[in-house]
Amino acid sequence: MTTTTSKNESRLNVAGTQVQMFSGGSGPPLVYLHGAGGTPGWQTHHEDLSQKYTVYAPAQPGFNGTDRPDWVSTITDVAHFNLEMIQVLGLENYILMGSSMGGWLSAEMAAMDHRNLKALVIIDGAGIRPKTGEIAEIFMVSATTRAGQRFFDTSQVPNYESLIQEPTQEQVLVEHSNREMASRLCWKPYLHNPTLPHYLKKVNTPSLIVWGKQDAIIPVECGEMYQQALPNASLKVIDQCGHSPQVEKSQEFNKVVTEFLSGLS
Amino acid sequence: MTEFYWFSEQAYGHVTDKDLEGYESGRMHFPNTFFDPQKAHVLYTNYHDQYAWADEVGFDGIMTNEHHSAYWCMKPSVNVDAAVIAKVTKKAKIALLGNVIAVNDPVKMAEELAMLDCISGGRLISGFVRGTAVETLHAGVSPTENRGRFEEAHDLIVKCWTQPGPFRWEGEYFHHRMVNPWVVPIQKPHPPIWFPGTGSPESVIWAAKHQYPYMNLGALLDLTVQLKQIYSDTAHEVGYEAGPEHFGYLMRVFVADTDEEAQKIGEEFLWTESHRQRGPVEFNDPPGYQSRAALEIKMSRPTIGTGTIGKRLSYQELQDAYNMIIGSPETVIKKLRHVKESLDPGYMLFYGNEGAMPHESVMRSIELLGTKVIPAMREV
Repeated sequence: MTTTTSKNESRLNVAGTQVQMFSGGSGPPLVYLHGAGGTPGWQTHHEDLSQKYTVYAPAQPGFNGTDRPDWVSTITDVAHFNLEMIQVLGLENYILMGSSMGGWLSAEMAAMDHRNLKALVIIDGAGIRPKTGEIAEIFMVSATTRAGQRFFDTSQVPNYESLIQEPTQEQVLVEHSNREMASRLCWKPYLHNPTLPHYLKKVNTPSLIVWGKQDAIIPVECGEMYQQALPNASLKVIDQCGHSPQVEKSQEFNKVVTEFLSGLS
Repeated sequence: MTEFYWFSEQAYGHVTDKDLEGYESGRMHFPNTFFDPQKAHVLYTNYHDQYAWADEVGFDGIMTNEHHSAYWCMKPSVNVDAAVIAKVTKKAKIALLGNVIAVNDPVKMAEELAMLDCISGGRLISGFVRGTAVETLHAGVSPTENRGRFEEAHDLIVKCWTQPGPFRWEGEYFHHRMVNPWVVPIQKPHPPIWFPGTGSPESVIWAAKHQYPYMNLGALLDLTVQLKQIYSDTAHEVGYEAGPEHFGYLMRVFVADTDEEAQKIGEEFLWTESHRQRGPVEFNDPPGYQSRAALEIKMSRPTIGTGTIGKRLSYQELQDAYNMIIGSPETVIKKLRHVKESLDPGYMLFYGNEGAMPHESVMRSIELLGTKVIPAMREV
């Protein structure tokens, strides 16, 4: 059951929970999952992908000020919730793409059920604990520190000023919901699941791992570990780029993603 | 009838502002290389002597607490301190404010508290606290779980005390197929439970709904009077009348033979004023520590003073607001009478030591409180 509320935005009823859904485009289905910071809505990288695909970019339950079903309090719960959402959307042979925490969720979902999955794209994904480095602290740090963590060079980020504006009261509540929900899902073990690499061994879905070489939150080593864990994965590292290549290096990002997706049978 | 309690946070008084410069926060970032265990040994000994003296000169009780990663509180375990109090005092009640039950094993809490009640001959008052957010962060627990864990731990502890074992507990956070603590409390059905707060109405309402005495930890007097009204209103809704026995107030109190001397030493209360809660807001209010609903309530009403946090008051302003009561016995009696008349608290908690206050001066303050101030207040 979908209710359209504005261009690219609608509400989707998933087992009684109203999911805030951003969608658009036409072509084969592609589901895009946002990171721990929530989603500001329909964005340029969604628009770019929607030229060839029907893109579904939901706000994850509890994020963006939306309702959290009582039973959803772990990444595993959200992954199951999302698989139910895929079923409600009636998607067949879909592409699953996720950034940061969304990359982690995508990997968990693939581990649970990859038979309906055409391709998996993980962008600077959380989920695996690095062997030599550390995933940076994102909760017990100031907003200034957080702002400095995300990008390699903010001059490469379109409309960067809009990202660091003083929030309105409504945005404060949305931001609180995002940080509350991310804390709930990712606090312990911190932004990873120790058994995830073992789950992924059976996922022979064609997979692309995209990483910003200078990611200051999740080191590129985790990208290498994702590639090793997934039997059918390639890794593309983008230089001069931080945690969000889809925003900071959108051209290179689009190029590697297009190459990968157009190479699929 | 008001009861009078001695409280000392047991500061590691050797830390200076200069030591703290250059660290992002005074708690999690300030390294423990500044801690000297030999100096701590001397301080602990002094603090324990002060407990014994407070008991001897006539305090009704001793209140104690717990903090982690805090240079201004050398008590990472309130129960360990309570065990000391139980042995160095004879009559005083032992009020814990309290155990951070959200981040501890509730069954072990129930056992330790029962043990303390038995050791002390039934002198225990068991306060339960959510803790500052740093307590939760330090314990490695998600701040989003604090409220839920607190409430479940409370229910499990009370069950340990009141229902014969063995029993099974399968909750959201705690799972035991066999609970059967051998040691149970002397006091029946269980030791009194207190609940503290600094300024949040939610805490007052929770305490009032459970009929637990609410201890206000150092908000300004006018706000505390409002909070007491919230307690009374909630009690009325629940179906009982709240009295002074349901409400306590913590003040920083220092007494010397003259006003001048007291003012001079009392200024040490400002020791941590500039850096006690310093650091990113994420340390004091991390995401999820307060619920979305609580944040909405907070944003919908004008800012009200919440104790000493959030707004910086001068030494004189803090005294004018009855957050600090400092002076000769005559001056202090006069001010405490005003507190008694405005608030009528059943419990007055005297936060009587801070920073590097000289041990001898603190002992004298305790003596003047016990021999002059408290007897005069009992006549009110």
